[in-house]
Amino acid sequence: MPALRIHYLLLSSCLFLLPACSSVYRGMQKTQADPSCLVKFKPTFTKALYKTKVDVTGKHLSGLLLVKAMPDSSTRLVFSNEMGFKYFDFEFSAAGIFKVYYILPQMDKDAVLTTLRKDFELLLMQHLDTAKSFVLKKDGLIYYGFPQSKGNNYYITDSTCQHLIRLERASDRKPVVTAVMQNYADGMPDSIGISHAKFNFTIGLKKLKQ
Amino acid sequence: MRKLFLLLCMCMPVIWLQAQYAGYKPVADAGAFKTQFAAATQKTQTIKADFVQEKNLGMLSEKITSKGKFWFKKDNRVRMEYNQPFQYLVIINKNNVFVKDGNKENKISTKSNKLFQQINRMMVDCVQGTALNNPDFKVVVFESGTACLIELSPVEKGMKDYFKNINIVLSKKDYSVNKLEMYEQSGDNTIISFTNKELNASIADTLFVIK
Repeated sequence: MPALRIHYLLLSSCLFLLPACSSVYRGMQKTQADPSCLVKFKPTFTKALYKTKVDVTGKHLSGLLLVKAMPDSSTRLVFSNEMGFKYFDFEFSAAGIFKVYYILPQMDKDAVLTTLRKDFELLLMQHLDTAKSFVLKKDGLIYYGFPQSKGNNYYITDSTCQHLIRLERASDRKPVVTAVMQNYADGMPDSIGISHAKFNFTIGLKKLKQ
Repeated sequence: MRKLFLLLCMCMPVIWLQAQYAGYKPVADAGAFKTQFAAATQKTQTIKADFVQEKNLGMLSEKITSKGKFWFKKDNRVRMEYNQPFQYLVIINKNNVFVKDGNKENKISTKSNKLFQQINRMMVDCVQGTALNNPDFKVVVFESGTACLIELSPVEKGMKDYFKNINIVLSKKDYSVNKLEMYEQSGDNTIISFTNKELNASIADTLFVIK
């Protein structure tokens, strides 16, 4: 009898664990849709200044993020605190090359740089190779998937691709980062939110009127 | 010829110093300046001013401008209230720094952070007139007809990695700070200009309270 009970417990534990191991994307239905409809959501930052709030593992950081399109078609992102002390200065080239001009020594760690690079690549809608893209459907939403070096980036729209609902940076199984870009004006979102699933890390950006 | 070369070598540092800041020349008597500066700032118990902060990003040819209000009260108390284009409050009260960003409040003890401690001391030194005695910097003083420029070059690693030099521009009339110029190693700079200055106006202690 005790042996039977142990088997039962093991089986029920496995049943509980199974959904956690399965992919949230696996059950989605493949569908036909043109990923080029996403072009209208790709932010065209001429120049924008965002009030920025970062919460990371219980610590709060605030500052200003300047985003500027450069003459060579690259995009520069400079984040400093309100008093002018710089945290980082990044460049994302049109060809998708990432360059660090400056990062505060305390932040100069591979994990931090990789996380920030991938988050901003998701927002800037870089590395969207339509030849390798795939489209899924679930609950009336369309998931435009773009394979990355690791996992996929998803741009999720309504059924007619009129509204960008959210962005996801995902492993093969589940979203790692969820982001939103809302209230576009002159091709630039007014509000941007980034939230990490694996650890307590959120970034909030609100465009400032200068 | 050799004498001419030697003369040129001797004059070079002076020529270089004079050419560094347009309209300024090194002060003839650094000791006298120090005495006058200390005497003038000794009389200043409080400062109330408006400020404009310009962050110049050299490589991007961009400028971020913000504005606000500034208060200083002896000893070691500074309040900076940014109100354009965002709301942000910084209070420095001796060894503690309080930051309010929207609803988020943050208290930092500068005792635990060497770089913060140096920045804190530099900020207070600038308005309190004790900048000339700060061992964290090599100090050179210049003057024009109406202003003095104190050039502070960091000597310690933390500050030196970030700042090339920090200049304090003082009014010759009352030795109050006109401008604070922070030049970064990257080529960027932050200039804070103070206007509508009121010296020794009554300022309540409550403005500097860190809850």
